[in-house]
Amino acid sequence: MNAIFSVLFLGSAIVLFFLSPEQFLPTLIDGASKSAALCFALIATYAVWLGLMNVWTDSGVTTGASRLLRPLMRRLFKTDDRQTLDAVCMNTAVNLLGISGAATAYGLTAAKRLENAEHAEYSCAMLFVLNATSIQVLPTSVIGVRTALGSANPADILLPTLLATAFSTLLGLALVRLLIPPCKRQTRQGALPLTLLKTGGTGI
Amino acid sequence: MNAIFALTVPLLFLFSFGFALFRKVKLYDSFTEGMKRAIPLVVSIFPYIASVAMLTKLLEASGLETQITQAITPAFSLFGVPTEIAPLLFIKPLSGGGAISTLTDILQRYGADSYVARCACVAYGSSETIFYIGAVYFAGSKRKKLPLALAISVFSYLASVVLCCVLCRFM
Repeated sequence: MNAIFSVLFLGSAIVLFFLSPEQFLPTLIDGASKSAALCFALIATYAVWLGLMNVWTDSGVTTGASRLLRPLMRRLFKTDDRQTLDAVCMNTAVNLLGISGAATAYGLTAAKRLENAEHAEYSCAMLFVLNATSIQVLPTSVIGVRTALGSANPADILLPTLLATAFSTLLGLALVRLLIPPCKRQTRQGALPLTLLKTGGTGI
Repeated sequence: MNAIFALTVPLLFLFSFGFALFRKVKLYDSFTEGMKRAIPLVVSIFPYIASVAMLTKLLEASGLETQITQAITPAFSLFGVPTEIAPLLFIKPLSGGGAISTLTDILQRYGADSYVARCACVAYGSSETIFYIGAVYFAGSKRKKLPLALAISVFSYLASVVLCCVLCRFM
């Protein structure tokens, strides 16, 4: 992120310096104020979804939903940590429902927990690619725009969209598996003698 | 179609709250407890959203965005992607708001049911705002393979765009 940011920022700053330097600061402030407005709207969105998410946790919906998805996610993310898997499962479930506000909240929890997981490089990449190429079952905003602009059949893009989004997700998953493979039980093997030593010690 | 989605969220809340009451959850306490996390969460992601937004605005103001779009356009036509949707393909991974306004623009210009417009719609739906997600999810992350993951996402996105333009010819 640092490299991409530096290159793009400096590149456009230099161009702007020669073209219209007086626009530089207003442009930056415009961007910041747009994002401040976005954050304000996000507080409202998150308030609704985080509230509902806590109700889900307290009533056991999270545990139930994650029990369904857990076998798949355990294999996909190579982790056995219960709370991480819960967050990842709910992130996927909510993404499929198309509620991006709640998906981000679960995704952030998952990202923080995966940061120190066993196969962190692999599983963080996996989480990112899953969310970035996320499957959209109902592209509501697109259908909204098409309806507003007088399309004869606004929903006829549903099937191609579903195929394209499923394809991008599967391709992403396969590429992560191929290019960022999880290291094979290195830490486990290292940990094994230690635990043996420990139990041996208490035995004596 | 819109009617179905309009019903999804209310039903989700009705079932969730009904189920919570059935499980004897203190609904008001639980709902408000969850909301408390909203403000710290947004505060923690604000700097990352703001810097991506500033970058997007800078690219736009310096005219670099148009230049890059023009530079990559021939590559798109090589793969059978209509060049009219190139601006959308460039802005979509960077900014959600920018993408929807570009999409509206394309639909208005070429007609909502034209081939170009349908390609644009499918391309819009085939992935998320990749850079924004990267900025928010892995703010301050020490993982070294994330740029590779970013490249994988962008590549999968572009590959699916090529696929969707083929699909739009038949479907």
